[in-house]
Amino acid sequence: MENALVAPVQTIPWYKTVKFRKTAQVVLVYALIIPGGIILILPFLWMVTTALKVQKQIFTFPPVFIPNPVMWSNFYEGWTKYVPFTRYLFNTLEIVTNNVVGNLVSCVLAAYGFARLKARGKEIIFYMVLGTMMVPLWVTIIPQYVLFSKIHWTNTYLPLTVPAWFGWPFFIFLLRQFFMSIPRDLDDAARIDGASTWGILWHIILPLSKPALATVAVFAFIGNWNNFLGPLIYIRDTDKYTLAIGLQRFQGIYGNVQYHYMMAVATIIVLPIVIVFFLAQNLFVKGIVMTGIKG
Amino acid sequence: MAKKSLSRRKFLIGAASVSGAAILAACAPQVVEKVVQQTVVVKENVQQTVEVPVQQTVIVEKAAPAGPVVLTAAHAWEAAFEAHQEEFDNNFMKANPNIFIKRVNSDWSAHNQIVPTWAAAGELPDIIYVHGSRAFPWNKEGILITVDNYVSADKPFDVAGIWPEALKLYQFNGKQFEIPYDHGPVIMGYNMDLFDAAKVEYPKPDWTVDDFVATAKKLTIPGKQWGYSGYYGNTFDLGNEIGIALVGGWGGEVFTDDESKLVVDSPESVEALKWWADMYTQKIVPNAAESTAFPSGVWVAGAAAMFGLATWGVPQMHDFGNFKYDVAPWPKGPKGQKTGSFGSGYGITKDSKNPDVAWTYMSQYLNVDGMNFMWASSGRGSPARLACKETYMKAAINPPNAGYFYDAMDKYAVTGHPYHTAASGEVADILGKYCGLVRTGEMTPEDAIANIVKEANPKLAAAAAG
Amino acid sequence: MTQALSTPKKPKLSPLRRKEEFEFYLSILPWIIGFILFTGGPIAASMFFSLTDWTGLTTRNFIGIQNYIAMFTTDKQFLTVVANTFYYSFASVILGTIGSVLVAILMNQKIPGINVFRTIYYLPSVTSGVAIAIMFMWLFNPQLGLINYALSLLGIQGPLWLASSTWAMPALILMSLWGIGGNMIVLLAGLQGIPDHLYEAARIDGANKVQEFFNVTIPMLSPVIFYVMIVSIIGSFQIFDNVYVMTRGGPGDATRVLVYHLYQNAFEYQKMGYSSALAWILFLIIMALTYLQFRFGRSWVYYESE
Repeated sequence: MENALVAPVQTIPWYKTVKFRKTAQVVLVYALIIPGGIILILPFLWMVTTALKVQKQIFTFPPVFIPNPVMWSNFYEGWTKYVPFTRYLFNTLEIVTNNVVGNLVSCVLAAYGFARLKARGKEIIFYMVLGTMMVPLWVTIIPQYVLFSKIHWTNTYLPLTVPAWFGWPFFIFLLRQFFMSIPRDLDDAARIDGASTWGILWHIILPLSKPALATVAVFAFIGNWNNFLGPLIYIRDTDKYTLAIGLQRFQGIYGNVQYHYMMAVATIIVLPIVIVFFLAQNLFVKGIVMTGIKG
Repeated sequence: MAKKSLSRRKFLIGAASVSGAAILAACAPQVVEKVVQQTVVVKENVQQTVEVPVQQTVIVEKAAPAGPVVLTAAHAWEAAFEAHQEEFDNNFMKANPNIFIKRVNSDWSAHNQIVPTWAAAGELPDIIYVHGSRAFPWNKEGILITVDNYVSADKPFDVAGIWPEALKLYQFNGKQFEIPYDHGPVIMGYNMDLFDAAKVEYPKPDWTVDDFVATAKKLTIPGKQWGYSGYYGNTFDLGNEIGIALVGGWGGEVFTDDESKLVVDSPESVEALKWWADMYTQKIVPNAAESTAFPSGVWVAGAAAMFGLATWGVPQMHDFGNFKYDVAPWPKGPKGQKTGSFGSGYGITKDSKNPDVAWTYMSQYLNVDGMNFMWASSGRGSPARLACKETYMKAAINPPNAGYFYDAMDKYAVTGHPYHTAASGEVADILGKYCGLVRTGEMTPEDAIANIVKEANPKLAAAAAG
Repeated sequence: MTQALSTPKKPKLSPLRRKEEFEFYLSILPWIIGFILFTGGPIAASMFFSLTDWTGLTTRNFIGIQNYIAMFTTDKQFLTVVANTFYYSFASVILGTIGSVLVAILMNQKIPGINVFRTIYYLPSVTSGVAIAIMFMWLFNPQLGLINYALSLLGIQGPLWLASSTWAMPALILMSLWGIGGNMIVLLAGLQGIPDHLYEAARIDGANKVQEFFNVTIPMLSPVIFYVMIVSIIGSFQIFDNVYVMTRGGPGDATRVLVYHLYQNAFEYQKMGYSSALAWILFLIIMALTYLQFRFGRSWVYYESE
C-alpha cells in the first residue's frame, strides 16, 4: 500500500535545532560571565594560596603563585597558636544568630506594614527609616557608645544583638519591595475567608517570599560575621571577642602582618559560608512557583 | 473595635520624652536618706540638738575592690607580639601579687578611633598606648594625667636616661604626660645582595649625599632595580621623621621650632628638596606607579639597593625580606648631618581609678629592664633609652650594624615636627597631598612647596593664636 | 433652600481604615521603639554637635552655624569633595545597577555549572577585605597589573590608575563592581517572583527574547531594581573603606570623598563638630536624591499590588 499519509519530512537547518540553540545559549552565557568570574575569584585565590605559603614567600618578586613548600600547618597554627578562634567562633555565632532571627522578625513586620497597610504618616515614617541609613557611622559612633555606656551595656553583646530585634532599614526596604510585588488577589480572597491582617502575613505573604527572606538572612549573617569595629569598641573582655577581631590580631602596626595565618583563618571562616551558599542556592532560584493566580 | 488613632505628633512627643527620661534616669545621681544632727531653736533662747532626717544627693562611689587591683591596659600589638607582652605581664603579676593586669588590643587605626570613644563615656582603661602624633591633641584635651610627681619621686626609674628628644614629644604646658617606649631615627638601609652582585662597596660610616647618589646610580638597572626607593617607598616626602632628614643636611628646616609656620620654602630647604626630586629625573628612584608595583614595598621585595629605614621598619624586613641587609648612618649633607626621629609612648588616663598603681606598672614597664625585655631583646623599634643599646644590638632580627640607630639618636637625630600644634593633622594631610603629586609626576617640587606653604601656614597661625 | 456655606469637614476615617492604621503602627512598633532607644538619640546628638566646636574629646562649645558657614568659606576642599562624591556615586551606581541586572539574568539560566558561577560572583562579598585590597593594588598596577596587561593585548596602553589624578577615581569606580554579587542575589530573588505564564503569554504574542526582557522582565523586576538603585546611591555616597586603605584621598584631592573628609576631620584634625556638620550636609544630599528617585520612580516602577 502507498504511504499517502506520511507527512513530508522537513529538514530543519542545523542552526535552528533545539540542540544547537541550547548549546549556543550555554556558550553565550559562559562567554559573558567567565571574564568577570576570573577577576572576581582572584582575591579568593590569593587568600587560599597565601594561606599555604611560608611567610617569606608571600611577597617575593617575581611573585610565586604556587606555594612551595605547601604549609598545611598554617591552618592549625593560625587557628590555635595566638588567639582562641574556636571560642571566638561560638561568640560570633551567638551574635550572628541573634541578628539573623531578630532581623527576620522585626523587618518582616515593618515591611508588611509599609507594603500592605494604609495609614496617615506612613510616607514620612518611611523616609525616617531610610534616613537612618544616611548618617555615616563616624559621627554617631561616640554618642552611641555614650548611650550604651549610660545604660551599662558596654562589655556585653547587647549593643550588638538587641538593635537587630528592632529592625534594620536595608532589610525593611528590601522586604517592602518584595511584598509590594505580590498581587493583592490572594489577600482579598483570604480576607473573604475571614483571615486577619496578621493571618494574611503568615499564610499568604511569607510563603511566597522565601527568596527574599533567604536574601535577608544571608545579608544579616554576612554583615555580622565580618563586623569588626562594633564588637571591638563594645567588648572589653578578650575572651568575648569575635572572629573578625581575631583576624585583625594578625595585623602588626609595623607592616609586619602575618598574612599567612590571617589568610589561613580567613579561609577556614569563609569556606563553610561558601559551601552553604553553594548548596542552598535552591532557596534563591526557583524555590517557589508563583501559582495560585490564573493569568 | 474602634480605637483612637494615634496622631503622628503625639507619637513623636511621647517618644522624645520616653527617651529623654530614660537617659536622664540613667545619669541621675542617687538620692539617699541620711540622718544628720542639726541644731534647732526649740523655744526662745533654748537650743537643742536633734536628729533630723535629711535627703542628701550623693554620688555613690564604687566600693574599693576587694583583692587585687585590676589594671586595664590598651595596646596596639598584633597577636604574635602580644605573647611577649603577656610574658611581661605574668612576670609583673608574680612580682606584684596584689595587681592584676587585663589587656585590650586593637590595631593601630582602630585604637585611635576607640580611645576618643571610650574617653567620651569615661571608660578609658588605666593605661593606654599613645602614638607620638596623638600625644599633643590627647594631652591638650586632658584625657591623660601628668606623671611629673610620680617620676620625680621614682628615682630608680631614671627618667634622665630617656632621650630628651623622645620625652619632649609627650610634654604639654611644661608637664610630662606620657613616657616614650620607643623612639627611633631614619637612617639608610641597604641590600647587601644587590651591592655584592654589582661589586659596589658598602656605604662608609662618614659618607656624604654625593657618595650616596653616586652609589645609587651605580646600582640602578632600568626596569629592574632602583638605587634608592625612598622612605616606605616615597622619595619625596615631608612626614615627621623624613622631612627634616631630607632638608636638614642643607641647613634647612620644615617647620619653625614653635610650629607657628612652615619654612620649607626657605632657600636651603628648597635647594635640598630639588636635589632629592632630581633623583626622579635621573630615574634612580621609582615613581609612584613603579613604587606601588610591590604590595609589600619596593625595598622589601628586594628591588631597591638602598632605602630609608626606621627602627620600626625592621620587623617587616625580617618577616618578608629575602636578602641580606645592613644599615648605615644617614648621609651627610653639604651643611651637616641631620635626620628625623619619632616614636610612641604610654600614659595613664583620666579615668584610671588607681593612678598610683598604674604608675607602679608603668615604672616597671618603661625602666631599663622593662624596655630591654619588651623592645631591646625583641628588636622591635629602638627603646627610648641609651642604656638599652647593648641589648638592642644583640636582638636576633636586627641588622649587624643596628648600633647606628643609637648613634643617630645620640648625635644627629631630632624629633620631626609637627608635634605640638593643634593643626598637625590638617598640615600632615596637606604635606602628604602635595608630596604625592610630586611623586606621581603631576607637580613640580617648587609648585608643591609653594602650595604647601600657602595652604598650611594660615592653619598653623590660627592654631598658634587660638 | 440655599445650602449654608460651610467649610468642608475633614472626612472621618472609617472604622476599617482606623483599624488598618492601628495595625500599621503596630507593625512598625518594634522599629519605632528601636529608633527611640538606640538610633534616634545618637543621630539627634550628632545634629546638636554640628553646632559646636567639639574636638571629639573634651572641648565642646556652642558656636551656632559657624561650621556650616565654614564649609563654603574656609574649607577649600569642600566643593571638590562633594563633586568627587557625586562623580563616584553616579558612575558606580549606573554601572553597578546595569551590571548586576545583566549578571542576575545570566545567572538565572538553568545551565549546568551555573551554581559554581553564582558562588564565584558572590565570593568577593565574603572574602577577606585584606585580600581584596591587595588584589586591587596588583590588578590596577600600571606596570605589572592584570588590567593594563589585558589592555595591552588589545593594543591600548593602560593609564596609571591609582598613580594618576585623572584615573584614580575611575579605578575606584571599577573596584566598586566587586560588590556586584550582593546586588545580583537580590535581583535573582526578584527574578524568581516573575510568573512563568507572563513569559508564555508574551511568546504566544510573538515576542522575541529582547522584547520579553523589556516588556516582562524589567517591569516585573522594577521594584527590586528600584531598591538596588536607592540602596546603591545611599551606600556609594558614603564610600570610605577603599579610599582609606588605598588612596587616602589622593593623588592630590582626586579621590577625596565626603566620608573620608569627614573621618579625617573627626579623628585626625580633632574637629568632630565640623565633621558632624559635614555629615548633616551629606544626609541632606542623600535624602534629596532619594526623594527625587521616589518621585521619579512612580513613573517606571511597577508594583503588582497596586
